[in-house]
Amino acid sequence: MEKVLSVSQLGKSFKDRQIISDISFEVHKGEIMAVLGPNGAGKSTTIRNIMGIMYPDEGDINFHGYGDGAIPRHRIGYLPEERGLYKNVKVMDILLYFAELKDYPAKKAKERALHYLKKFDLEGKEKTSVEELSKGMGQKVQFIASIIHEPELLILDEPFSGLDPVSQELFKKEIRNLADNGTAILLSSHQMNLVEELCDRLFMIHRGQKVIYGTLDDVKARYANFKCTIRGRNDRERLQQLTDVQRVEEQEGRSVLHLSRETHVPGWLRQIPEELDIQELSIDRISLHEIFIGIATDRLGAKEADLIEK
Amino acid sequence: MRNSMKVAKWEIKRNMMNKSYFISLFLTPAIFIFFFTVPGMFTSDPADDELLVYVDDRIGVWEQAEEHISRENMNIITDSSFESEDEILRELEQYTEDAVIIQITEERIQSGAVPVYLSEDVDEMAVFQFNALEQPLRQLQLENLGLDETEAALASAGVSLTPVSAESETEAVEEAAADPLERLVPGLFAGAILFAIMFTGMMIFQSASQEKKEKVSEMVLSSVTPSDLMQGKIMGYFVLGIVQVLFWAAVALPLVQWQTDIPVFDYLFVPELALLLLIAIAGYLMFAAIFVSLGATAEDVNASSNFQGIIMMLPFLPFVFIGPVLSDPSGTLAQVASFIPITSPAILLLRLSVIEEWPWVELILALLVLFGSILIIMKLAGKIFKTGILMYGKNATPKEILKWIRQ
Repeated sequence: MEKVLSVSQLGKSFKDRQIISDISFEVHKGEIMAVLGPNGAGKSTTIRNIMGIMYPDEGDINFHGYGDGAIPRHRIGYLPEERGLYKNVKVMDILLYFAELKDYPAKKAKERALHYLKKFDLEGKEKTSVEELSKGMGQKVQFIASIIHEPELLILDEPFSGLDPVSQELFKKEIRNLADNGTAILLSSHQMNLVEELCDRLFMIHRGQKVIYGTLDDVKARYANFKCTIRGRNDRERLQQLTDVQRVEEQEGRSVLHLSRETHVPGWLRQIPEELDIQELSIDRISLHEIFIGIATDRLGAKEADLIEK
Repeated sequence: MRNSMKVAKWEIKRNMMNKSYFISLFLTPAIFIFFFTVPGMFTSDPADDELLVYVDDRIGVWEQAEEHISRENMNIITDSSFESEDEILRELEQYTEDAVIIQITEERIQSGAVPVYLSEDVDEMAVFQFNALEQPLRQLQLENLGLDETEAALASAGVSLTPVSAESETEAVEEAAADPLERLVPGLFAGAILFAIMFTGMMIFQSASQEKKEKVSEMVLSSVTPSDLMQGKIMGYFVLGIVQVLFWAAVALPLVQWQTDIPVFDYLFVPELALLLLIAIAGYLMFAAIFVSLGATAEDVNASSNFQGIIMMLPFLPFVFIGPVLSDPSGTLAQVASFIPITSPAILLLRLSVIEEWPWVELILALLVLFGSILIIMKLAGKIFKTGILMYGKNATPKEILKWIRQ
């Protein structure tokens, strides 16, 4: 797969505090790569360093196809975490301004702006002043501003924060659409459910360091252990004694049995004692959200993983 | 540079559409015109009405003095003849327009009082318009007393004290000939430009601060470098300021010329104006750089600290020196203030407006110091702007600003 961006051994400190260190990953054409991590993990710092808004203390950032160290600003779309637009201007004016800053032809920009405004349910709002828009509408306009110039690489810092579920779906669909059309997308988020549905690969960062890097399937295979949910009245002690059960959580008449990573599911199912009260039973892998919580709270430990890249 | 131009264009467009800019663009000259013309409508200027002047001169003095008497707004009738004072007064009562009757007779000269009869509405000051009559009248009086013509002329001319300075005679003559307004007008114009664009410059502070507040800078900085953004803002607001000043000047200057008869345009478009404008622009660049970087350190103008407030006051520092510099434009204080970057543009403009012979060597040195300082200030401002504009959520302290400069 064609590489668009390579980040290698990136490091940045403020005062004496190391914010990020040894961050390395790549973003490929047409894929959605997610940088995940709890608040303060160093996601935005990583992105700001890539954008040249901050300068890294260590490491290299390479945009393939452009000279060493050069940042092809006009080929990158960027939606920062801190959202804002000029207040006293019209929607179309601000979109055209951002297109002009990216050297994108005004005529094409106008067409695209109208197309996207329609797509995001903002048809007819092009002459509205930005200050009259709701927060959600403002975010949509800003999203349009970041993609108006058909970027090769789109960097989205927490694109879903503050959006209602309908808008989240809209954004998700559009991000997928852009990737399918060949845009390389790097997004950061802490909303794991959205990322899980969207991203092809992920890079999880915790306390400024890499903890997981690989494709979603690989990450799941490696980190997302199986869990068995049983509805029925059972003694917790009894469940805990079953083979491969690491811990048991009880919630409203259900017991969630977290199984160890090596568990062979058919074999494990066969050895379930007959006397257990089972009204319902389901087996699935723990979600990215749970992996994330586990890492963020150090339950999974800072297990570093370097998964096979695809 | 291309990116700076794009930012500049945007700032110009954004502000031109802005109501407050529009209002200040039109309101200021409207207020100016109002104060310039409206009071005049309520006070009728006596000079505006034509004055009828009847001269009953039986001796021929009028002819001698005539060329020294302004004929503006006067209709002079010299072939009048009145028999008595009563007739004159009766005559005056009948006039509806402003009228003056001067009767010059032998008796009047002898008595030493030549009356100037005024109709009801004519101000007594009107008498002074005929002052030129006094000298030939006095001469006649002296001749009547027995002096011959030369003696009488000499005596009536009187004796006056004449100042003679150590300057060479030609210079003195030139100085006497030169109208102080000739120097003052371009200086005032450049000064007006400096202060007007400086006020627009203060809008840069707001613009940078607002950009920070509205959190839009990160998005812009993903397309342009911080120095492009800063330069674009400085250029944009410069154009806005200039547009404003030129518009005001286009309204005010013809009005001043029309109302005061000062040949403003002749005085304005002289080669010296180019240098004065250069100083004004240099002053703008310096303060714009200070303001834009300062704006990047303060998110909320109202919540900005005393530190920012003090810096905002810097452009007004030269006002403190105006008095002393005017009283001695070549004095030590004036010279020192010309070399301090903050005061230099305003003080230089002030001095060059009043000094007759420009001190070129000193001027060039002062300009070199000014331009050097601008380069340094711009560089420092760039450093402050780069870090400050992305620091959301708080105003920077002087300590932080110092740290950014050292980076």
